[in-house]
Amino acid sequence: MTHHTRVPLRLSTLALAILSTTVLGEGYGLASANRDNLKTEAWQCKRCASNTGTHGTIGVGVAHNDGEDSHFGNTSGTDKDGVVASLEGDIRHRAASGYQTHFTADKLGYDNGFAQLTTGKPGQYNISAAYRAIAHYDTNQALTPYHIQADAWQLPQQWQTGATTAQMTDLQSSIQPTSLQVERDRYNLDASYIGSFYRAELGYQYEQRQGHRRASGNLLTNSTMLTERIDDATDNVTAKIYLNGTNWLAGIETQLSHYKNDQQALRWQSAFAPTFGAAYSGQNAVSPDNKAYRIAGNTQLSSGTQHVLMHIGFTRMTQDQSYLPATINGPSPVLPTDNLAGQVDITEMKLNYSGRVSRALSLRASYDYRDRDNKTQVDLYPQIITDSYLSGYAHNLEYDRTAQQAKLAAKYRLNRAAYIDIGYDYDHNNYSDLDRQNLQESTLFAKIHYRISTQWQVWLKASGSDRTGSEYSPVTTTVSPSNPLLRKSYLADRERQRYGLYGSYATGAFSASANAHWMQDDYTDTLIGLTKVDTQGYDLSAQYAVNDNINLNAFVNQDWRDSDQAGSSNFGAPNWYATSAAKSTLIGAGLDYANLLDNKLKLGIDYTYADGQNDTEVIQGLRSPYDSYYSTRHTLNTFANYQISDKFGLRFDWIFEQYQDADWANEGLAPNSIPNVLSFGDLSHDYNAHYFGLTLSYQL
Amino acid sequence: MKKMTHLNRYAATLAVAFILSACGGDDGTPGKPGEPGGPPAMTVDTLQITIDDVTMQSGIATVNYRVTNQDDEPVVGVPSATFIAAQLLPQGYTNAGNSSQWQFFTSQNCPARCTGDYVDYKNGDYSYTFDAPFDGMNDISYQAGATQRLVIKMGGDSLADGTVLPVTNQHIDWQAPTTGPSAEPAYTRNIVTMATCNSCHNDLAFHGSNYNQIETCVTCHNADRVSNPDNIFPQMVHAKHLSGFPGSLANCQTCHVADDTLSENHNWTRVPTMEACGACHNNIDFKAGQGHPAQADNANCIACHNPDWTANVHNDGGNDEALGQFEASITSASLNGDTVSFTLSLRNPASGQLYTDSANNLNFVADLRVYANWGTSFDYATRSPRSIRLQEEVPIAGSDGRYSYQITGVTVPAGTEMDLGALAIQGKVCAANGVLGDCSDTTNSEVNIKSSHQFFSAQALSDSGRRVVVTNDTCGSCHGDQQLNFHGSRNDLEGQCQLCHNPNMVADATDNPSTATADYKHLVHGIHSGQREGYESINYPGNLGNCAQCHSQQAGVLTAGLPLYAGVKPLAITGDLYTSPTAAICSDCHASDSATNHMVQQGAVFKGSLADASALTESCTTCHGQGASADVLKVHPIK
Repeated sequence: MTHHTRVPLRLSTLALAILSTTVLGEGYGLASANRDNLKTEAWQCKRCASNTGTHGTIGVGVAHNDGEDSHFGNTSGTDKDGVVASLEGDIRHRAASGYQTHFTADKLGYDNGFAQLTTGKPGQYNISAAYRAIAHYDTNQALTPYHIQADAWQLPQQWQTGATTAQMTDLQSSIQPTSLQVERDRYNLDASYIGSFYRAELGYQYEQRQGHRRASGNLLTNSTMLTERIDDATDNVTAKIYLNGTNWLAGIETQLSHYKNDQQALRWQSAFAPTFGAAYSGQNAVSPDNKAYRIAGNTQLSSGTQHVLMHIGFTRMTQDQSYLPATINGPSPVLPTDNLAGQVDITEMKLNYSGRVSRALSLRASYDYRDRDNKTQVDLYPQIITDSYLSGYAHNLEYDRTAQQAKLAAKYRLNRAAYIDIGYDYDHNNYSDLDRQNLQESTLFAKIHYRISTQWQVWLKASGSDRTGSEYSPVTTTVSPSNPLLRKSYLADRERQRYGLYGSYATGAFSASANAHWMQDDYTDTLIGLTKVDTQGYDLSAQYAVNDNINLNAFVNQDWRDSDQAGSSNFGAPNWYATSAAKSTLIGAGLDYANLLDNKLKLGIDYTYADGQNDTEVIQGLRSPYDSYYSTRHTLNTFANYQISDKFGLRFDWIFEQYQDADWANEGLAPNSIPNVLSFGDLSHDYNAHYFGLTLSYQL
Repeated sequence: MKKMTHLNRYAATLAVAFILSACGGDDGTPGKPGEPGGPPAMTVDTLQITIDDVTMQSGIATVNYRVTNQDDEPVVGVPSATFIAAQLLPQGYTNAGNSSQWQFFTSQNCPARCTGDYVDYKNGDYSYTFDAPFDGMNDISYQAGATQRLVIKMGGDSLADGTVLPVTNQHIDWQAPTTGPSAEPAYTRNIVTMATCNSCHNDLAFHGSNYNQIETCVTCHNADRVSNPDNIFPQMVHAKHLSGFPGSLANCQTCHVADDTLSENHNWTRVPTMEACGACHNNIDFKAGQGHPAQADNANCIACHNPDWTANVHNDGGNDEALGQFEASITSASLNGDTVSFTLSLRNPASGQLYTDSANNLNFVADLRVYANWGTSFDYATRSPRSIRLQEEVPIAGSDGRYSYQITGVTVPAGTEMDLGALAIQGKVCAANGVLGDCSDTTNSEVNIKSSHQFFSAQALSDSGRRVVVTNDTCGSCHGDQQLNFHGSRNDLEGQCQLCHNPNMVADATDNPSTATADYKHLVHGIHSGQREGYESINYPGNLGNCAQCHSQQAGVLTAGLPLYAGVKPLAITGDLYTSPTAAICSDCHASDSATNHMVQQGAVFKGSLADASALTESCTTCHGQGASADVLKVHPIK
């Protein structure tokens, strides 16, 4: 089941990515819909063992990975091209007194490895130390003439600047492929203690990130794609204490986090001839060091069938990193302060009630309050246009927000097999510095749930929302005013309809579920902007245990999202329209076959197909479709586990992936294709890659 | 399969039933010949072409239109017409930042040089079917959905009965699939109206006077028709106006007049391109990076040259706003001996408040002068009127925004005390970004105020004074509203210039002294006709004979008519010589020997004594007076 719950979660990530895609949007990679390798051996019930002593396995693995395109590392766990070695283990020691120590490790030695040591007495105390490495690989084919020197990106000595990329005569001889990837090392120390009427937890996490990511440096209208160095760390301390009585539970949670960036700025030598003055180099600010703390209290009261939950929380985020000069090109105008001395306070409160009024009727009510108060001092700051010239002064804006949400719902059981659930949600938001001062949304929903038989159950849910707010008056804080007919989608009046249908069937050996959903957003007052969004999709999944040895599973998911946008090329009424049709498909099937060859061999095969695409078309009388924007992935993940003897086992893993993506924004691009952008070139992927692994394990 | 067949048959039956009911029993032909046309037009002063629609059949366009006269009567038997077809590519379509672009398909003149089907339905309705699909003509692909333009030009010839047809251009913008009816276009390119051009030019027409609408010009003056890129319409029109432009070239809004009915009216700020901008800024080579950082294409222009910026640097940079905060007016005036006493108030019209301080204590007043001259009935007593500078002058009296001043030594000829005088105001204020400010602050710059004048009698202000023959409005039709400044900040062409440029000016004794004097009435004619020394190369944009371009009306009659105002004096010429008034005026333009002979024969005096030139021997009005056979107002092409 594990992997099936993962799939919808990943998909929602994907859906969110699509939601944020506009006509000119950045790419989304289907990599985010990646399914982890199935570790079916982890499914066995470890806790079922009750014998004392030391048990478990240790293993050593050697693998051959195809690292020609580092993107495959997101699936295989490493971007190394060639032979890689790793350690794994799962050892448990149980003393007669009840103490338990557990060590697990997997792919230790890879960029995506893991190890954890836990010791303690279940039900009393527990101490654990863990290490996890997480890596994300973007590309190893970003073409750039830059190299790092004295903390700045420098060009080769003989570099000839040009007003346009075509005039950079040394470009072809200077460009080198470089890697963009982010590696995290996360260390955890956790302790918990359970007393007679309380429970206390203490945790510390240290996470370090290193690598390079895409960035761009601009000098006026000339842009350069740069690899931004990532070298930062976050400390996070949490402490919780909970007291409990007969009908109550109360606790305090605290959290302290500190972010430190070892990079102070992104500096680069300009590849372009200065447009004005002597702008030979540029400097961008990077993420500033910052701190946050949070303190929260939770109380839960129960009396029979009535439950009340209260939560109150306060978070303060601060940032006082020294400012960089406003510009390094020419005299920098004086800044009003040395640093932002930024402070944002978030206050939150929740009150939840749920209770059963009668055998058939239960009620739920809740109120949420969340206030973001930016207490940073408002000053007048010089506005430097992309490190080139002073264009005036502007105040920093607060962007405060207060969100309140009230919910009321009732669930009524019609009979033993069916119930209906109806409710009303009210959202209220107050904003500062946006085009609207406040925004309200009312939602009504109804759900009917029917258990047809012990095997069959279905539900149908429908909801309708209406969002409106105060008068829309475009902000005047921007340099160029927006078209008066523009309604920003997140502030626009909106009518939303949503329907969902779910059905499931389960017998002993076979289970299946189906789910279809449809949503329509209608922006009723928008002439220019996002006008309509239609979303629909379905999920199907099934599992079948053919017999004790053979398990089959399969799933299909498809989602569509069609959005309409209207614009104006003459700052008047709408005269162009864009449609964006996004589609994603995820198909998977797996087979487990155990106890082959005299109970010595176990086989597993798992296949997934993921495809995402977005077709955008701009229509202004003429239809102008954008070029390709898609990613397609086939992944085959197989293993064979053979028990050589009582003590030794041998596992063979084979991963095959075929991956292809394209993005019209950089398809077929050479670094000098765009006159005023020195780019990384075409960053698309198209590969067939294999991973072969052999792991020898020893049973303790 | 059997079921499917049944279904198809059923659908076909339904379709047939639908077609029958939809036609309503009509024969389905266009119905043009049967349409009532009314009696045909007997006179044609103007032609009205009403384009009903354009329909496409397999890519071939048919345009249906109706031709009527000024009374909406059908004009039958129009012998010829020219049909021009062009396609518009949207803004940004050819590359990011590029403006929308016309693409010429074809021009077909019927019946002389057309192979299409030109049909006169003899009831005022006409149609023309092109000989072939547009697609591929002039190597341009017809794109369904793109905005198309069809221009019909007719006139310049006559009906069979000899009725002359005036040249008329009419266009329709449309879009259509390869087969089907036309619809409203999805986008347009409407930037400037012909009326704006004709506010300075008169009835502008080119190529044998056949083409007289901007909407026509652009169909040919585009990259796909003209071989020289300098002849593409925007750059051609910009470049043509570079020399001799009568107003400020920097003020794009002389031609790009704010007009909400033009959908792309703001293109001059919103769509900057190296082609349009480079036509005036012609010392820039954008691609080579000379005079401007190198730019390979138009994609980046708007990044720096945003609409606000472009508007700011090309119009007055907020000067109108600043001037809206300053108004100087004379509230009383009188004459005592040779001294004029007057009261002046300075007001902020934007707030309605008076500036309480006097001009010498207002730090935003850079210059404020008042001139005085006497004798409006005889075009003033002196060519050198007395003046005072109020920004330096301590008022004689006054408070709270009303201050009194005196100008002494005014020339008042004996016996003219009952005549009227004039006070003229001119000046400069300091401002930045539309706000008045201290002149000592270098961020502020000087802005000319709009000059003005005020008539007065010995006792009080007077609404009337010197006759008005041109107004600031008529001058402004080419020069902009008081935008033409002389001698620093003098721009009241209607009533200020005449205080000095009057008959007391003496002309050099040249062949034609009329064009050598600085007396306003002669000076202005001489400059605009290119006959005054130094103005020979003037490229007068309108029809010089259209007196109404400059002259205003008085009691419904154009002030260019004869007889001349009785107070007009003979033209004074060095050597104590004089030319009689009417002859002097007409000679401003009509300076040939035969014209001079004609005037002399009819009583004019050239370079005679003052007594002879004033003896009223001229008999011009007999033939050229109002209502006479050769009325000046009729023999000139006045519109």
